[in-house]
Amino acid sequence: MSIAYDTIAFRSAKCDGCGECMKACAAVKQGTSRISIVPGARDGAFEMALCRQCGDPKCVMVCPAGALSKNAGNGIVDWAADRCVDCLLCTSGCAYGAISADPIGGRVIKCDQCGGDPACVGACPTDALEWGSAGSIYNRFGDKEDMFVPGLAGCQGCNSELIMRHVMRRIGRNSVLATPPGCIPGMGSVGYNGKTGTKVPVFHPLLTNTASMLAGVRRYYDKIGRKDIVVMALAGDGGTVDCGFHAVSGAAERGEKILYICVDNEGYMNTGMQRSGATPYGSWTSTTPVGDKLKGKTQDAKNMPMIMVAHRAAYVATASTAYMEELYDKLDRAIEASFHGFSYLHIYSPCPTGWRVPANKVIEACRLSVESNFVTLWEYTPEAGLRFTRSPDRPVPVVDYARTIGKYRHLDADQLAHIQAKVDEQVALLKRLAGEVSAVSAARAAAPEDSSTSAGAVPPPLRHETFRP
Amino acid sequence: MPEAKYLLVGSSHAALEALRAIRRLDPDGSMAMVTRDGALPYSPTVLPYVMSGRSRPDAVILRDRAFFDEVGCRFVSGVAATGLDTAARSVRLADGTQWRYGRLLVATGAAPAIPPIPGLDTVAFHVLRTLDDAVGLRARMGLARRAVVLGAGLVGLHAAETLAEAGLSVSVIEMRGQVLPGYIDAKASARIEAAFAGHGVKLLLGRTATRVAAQDVGIAVTTDDGRTVEGDLLLVATGVRPVTDWLAGSGVQVERGVLVDGFLRTSAADVWAAGDVAQGLDFASGTRQVLGIIPTAVEQGRIAGFDMAGDAGQKPWVGGLPVNTYRFFGRPAVSVGQAAAGGDGFEVVEQDLPHLYRRIVLAGDRLVGIASVDDPFDAGIMGELIRRRVDLAAVKDAFLADPTAIGRRLMSEQWR
Amino acid sequence: MSQAAALSRDSRTLVIDGNEAAAWGAALSRPDVVAVYPITPQSSLVEYLAKFIAEGKMDAELMDVEGEHSVLSVLHGACLAGGRTYSATSAQGLAYMFEPYFRTPGLRLPMVVSLVTRDSVTPCCVWGGQQDAMTVKEVGWIQMYCETQQEICDSIPIAYKVAEHADVMLPVNVCHDGNYLSYGVARVDLPEQEVVDAFLGEKNVNWHACLDPERPMAVDPLTGGAGGAGPSMFVRYRKGQCAGMSAALDVIVAAHEDWGRRTGRYWSPLIEEYRMEDAEVALVTIGSMTGAAKDAVDEARLDGRRVGLVKIKTFRPFPAKAIAAALSKVKAIGVVDRAVNFGWNCGPVFQEVLAALYALPVRVPLVSFIGGLAGADITPEHFARSIADTIRLAAGEQVSSPVWLNEFDK
Ligand SMILES: Cc1cc2nc3c(=O)[nH]c(=O)nc-3n(C[C@H](O)[C@H](O)[C@H](O)COP(=O)(O)OP(=O)(O)OC[C@H]3O[C@@H](n4cnc5c(N)ncnc54)[C@H](O)[C@@H]3O)c2cc1C
Ligand code: SF4
Ligand code: SF4
Repeated sequence: MSIAYDTIAFRSAKCDGCGECMKACAAVKQGTSRISIVPGARDGAFEMALCRQCGDPKCVMVCPAGALSKNAGNGIVDWAADRCVDCLLCTSGCAYGAISADPIGGRVIKCDQCGGDPACVGACPTDALEWGSAGSIYNRFGDKEDMFVPGLAGCQGCNSELIMRHVMRRIGRNSVLATPPGCIPGMGSVGYNGKTGTKVPVFHPLLTNTASMLAGVRRYYDKIGRKDIVVMALAGDGGTVDCGFHAVSGAAERGEKILYICVDNEGYMNTGMQRSGATPYGSWTSTTPVGDKLKGKTQDAKNMPMIMVAHRAAYVATASTAYMEELYDKLDRAIEASFHGFSYLHIYSPCPTGWRVPANKVIEACRLSVESNFVTLWEYTPEAGLRFTRSPDRPVPVVDYARTIGKYRHLDADQLAHIQAKVDEQVALLKRLAGEVSAVSAARAAAPEDSSTSAGAVPPPLRHETFRP
Repeated sequence: MPEAKYLLVGSSHAALEALRAIRRLDPDGSMAMVTRDGALPYSPTVLPYVMSGRSRPDAVILRDRAFFDEVGCRFVSGVAATGLDTAARSVRLADGTQWRYGRLLVATGAAPAIPPIPGLDTVAFHVLRTLDDAVGLRARMGLARRAVVLGAGLVGLHAAETLAEAGLSVSVIEMRGQVLPGYIDAKASARIEAAFAGHGVKLLLGRTATRVAAQDVGIAVTTDDGRTVEGDLLLVATGVRPVTDWLAGSGVQVERGVLVDGFLRTSAADVWAAGDVAQGLDFASGTRQVLGIIPTAVEQGRIAGFDMAGDAGQKPWVGGLPVNTYRFFGRPAVSVGQAAAGGDGFEVVEQDLPHLYRRIVLAGDRLVGIASVDDPFDAGIMGELIRRRVDLAAVKDAFLADPTAIGRRLMSEQWR
Repeated sequence: MSQAAALSRDSRTLVIDGNEAAAWGAALSRPDVVAVYPITPQSSLVEYLAKFIAEGKMDAELMDVEGEHSVLSVLHGACLAGGRTYSATSAQGLAYMFEPYFRTPGLRLPMVVSLVTRDSVTPCCVWGGQQDAMTVKEVGWIQMYCETQQEICDSIPIAYKVAEHADVMLPVNVCHDGNYLSYGVARVDLPEQEVVDAFLGEKNVNWHACLDPERPMAVDPLTGGAGGAGPSMFVRYRKGQCAGMSAALDVIVAAHEDWGRRTGRYWSPLIEEYRMEDAEVALVTIGSMTGAAKDAVDEARLDGRRVGLVKIKTFRPFPAKAIAAALSKVKAIGVVDRAVNFGWNCGPVFQEVLAALYALPVRVPLVSFIGGLAGADITPEHFARSIADTIRLAAGEQVSSPVWLNEFDK
């Protein structure tokens, strides 16, 4: 395996052109900034030129003096001042304007990532610059065994396949995997006609009983002392929030020690893109079509992760493949929690086919969904409460996200306003919850021993006679 | 008889990039690099700095022995290829060995072209193409006071600058009316000429050397206007010619250089050619030309390497683009594409200010060439704009005013 | 183990209802995982299980889940992981668990689930009847119907022995009538734990399909489709299920005999023939009604009528040969059902018996009696009337079928 490196990523949508990064760079380099922010095509839009520390750097190739080299340790394309003869040839190799003649000193300058702690990233007030450790994820997991066959029959650009492979690479062989009916077995996780698509024990539960079957598996293994197996699901949103909801809710309430990962593509994509309870307002689906009378789904999506919070599950988190470092961190915590209680990870997963997103824009869609707060990234434990893992402040308008998604193409201004309002309301609620949860624990900690309103009091058990007509 | 699946002849830019490309696709195939030069790989471009003393000869090495061991390539140096037998798939070396190859890369580059000036063969003169040349010149330089340089191309000017900086009195004789003819336009060259003049270099432009004769001390060069220029040191830099002599009789088609197609294949099966030795597609004219610059050598070497290793996804080369960066007496000059073009079908916008000169050449709202003096720009981005034929109609005024900002913006949009 | 064994020793003979008898039968079979959800008239059964587990008398994982759908689902998971599993349900619960229920025999999971039989809504009703069990008779579960509390207790270990037999590998419903058996109290002799342990031997429930990282496999890959290997593979699955059902007949007989040898209680494994040696007419019964029916047969015999009775214990697989043989010499047959076959508009057992008799060279007339719906009593009087009707049929008279036994009860 070759190794991958950490990089500085630029989110043009967040950049307001303040130039703080350039000031910071100029200050630490005591000269001209290595990063340059330039006006973009639209008013208020900005673009950036910065060395990408190419894997196959052209600047290095054309240098006649051996002054440039790719550092195998940290991936940085190093410039050796003493070897450089100032010929400027390297500037002809770079397509990004990232190595250029310094108008002050006259020598060439380029970004060296400040040795792993880039000043520009720290100075950016809008998070438009991000220090991406996606490279270290690759280094950590790239060598790990892929648990699926190479030829899964997913659509081009399928985000769910990405999720499956990443997740199982991390989890490994000591696991039992449920993949309920949907795209995941549809692309071959359980295989066809007696041939498996997976290296771990895998099965189709019913669409309706994933969490229950897993609970049974876990209980038996716990009973016989094999407690280190990850018992888990990669389930779609339909089977999770709709017809399999009872099982998820029941397992969460009982604290069954399983890892339940919901791969949310906002509908029944495998059966032909019908709406589910997780389909957002306004979406075109094949059962919420767009015509003269109807303009897509008329109800908002069910918020399953919040429902799981209401169950006080041992761990609840939302994640997006646009932020893999986070996803992996959450996966680590989710796995750990699944040995103690019900662990729920909700991963948003745009479907290029069903959402009408070009295959090469899926990750872009993921990112915009987060940048617009359409998707919020947070995690929850009963002990620590809810906390945002990415700031929901300074979002881009939700219309910027909706514009990239074909299933929202028909939306009119009112519908877009509804979605924006819903997103704002959601964020406000989450923020309150993030505050309130800690307020409650604080109150509990402060409550006197005999307080009649103690939040921790356990109500007496009630016996219910069950009469089922 | 030694043999290699991949035999690379030459050890400079083109051959090194081919090696890298081959190893990407075929980590194990047997490989050998044979080169006339006795040294480890280096670039001819760096020689003026060796000559000036800025770079130590051992510090310009591009790859060391360990590199060749690591990538599994035999490095055979100090022995020239003298013949090619495509039927037997073998290359004959000066020491008599025959190398059998599976696939052959001809990357023997170029060598100084020595003009047929009467008397030149009777005197001691220098050229600048190898490390030995540079080291020799440096030694000689210290003993000389007056230097005569034939040719005001890239090599001639670089050498002239170095000689002048070393305190010699330098005369440059150039047949054409400007320095760097063909690379940049007259206004740009005028600024460079001024820089040379400012540092005491005598530029004899529009003059042809008609005779060279030995003096008691040094030499004398007579020009077509009847004047004579004397010197202790003579450097001939009147151009280069591809090193193709060893291919004679092999059946590999040679015109000015070795003729190659879009995949750098020659007319002979399993023989590729790249770099200064090759005559390949020129982006602007669509004809086959010898371009003689590093960007072309590395690009060709790379494509040839991938093709040699059987890359099925390979796209043919779009053609070479002249790209030159210079710095004379600290003053940067850059040119990309048809920077000196003008006339019908071209729109030329010049900025001729006291502190900088810039010339942008457009054709149908698309950039085709750009040059500047004292105003370095992102040559790589400009090359991309030209190669991708990016339509600049929407941003034209802004581009003309600030090519750097608009270029960076366009590339940032392209690559996000 | 020792605790349960100890308990069974200090109270070898109990006076308990059928639900507790089932709970004891289950406890003695040592399931690893028990899943429960209450429903009338099964509720006390799962309460007993919970109590046994709470008191440490039974070493099983208790999964008190959110509904019957999950009851069977968690057991699927546990069984595929290698555990012995048990639960019980009734009527609406069975209807709700139908989705995993249908899947159980397809996965060849050898689990045992008691059905405390009950009539199903609508009309709204929570009382005994066999409509629930009869409605799922085609699904592929083995069904055994018990007559007494003791038979319930004994039949559950027997059911495990059958289910887990390598030639069978099918789930078993041990059925007992709601109300009469579930709440009716009788003496039950508990078998010794050691006896049950020896009878059942080592369990191996997932040798064929498992979810175990040490033996990774895909359980239930997609099969079928228009052509190729898929449909033929599916056919082989289905044929395999049928083969398991056929093999079960002999296995059931052998298991009952084995149980008899170890405990002294020899239950009729497939059918029981009562006073059939010289019988001219016969009643066919199933489940707890049989006691009253036998009384009626005895009464009729006192009156000199040559009446006999065949009780069906194993309804799935249907013991067609045994039934045809037992009924081959009578002149008329009355089949008493506690459920309705809609469409044929008769009793379901009647319909099955009719089909079994097709193998006979002679045509024997049959009449369908439907009684005991919604918890109604089928008294010896009702059976006396059935016998009289069957005798009339034997005499060549017309009897309109079905006869709804409780239609005019007061
Ligand atoms: C002074 C100077 C300044 C320059 N400045 C610039 C510049 O600023 N920008 C720019 O782009 N380009 C410049 N160039 C040109 C540039 O150096 C060449 O384009 C480039 O080196 C071409 O690389 P190549 O691999 O094709 O061949 P070369 O660099 O010419 O190398 C040829 C190789 O082949 C070997 N060889 C030759 N004959 C034989 C044989 N018969 N058998 C075996 N081996 C053989 C040689 O030893 C050598 O290793 C300059 C050149 C010189 C001399
Ligand atoms: S300077 Fe340009 S070519 Fe070199 S590594 Fe950076 S981005 Fe790549
Ligand atoms: S300017 Fe320096 S780093 Fe760039 S190509 Fe020339 S020698 Fe190499």
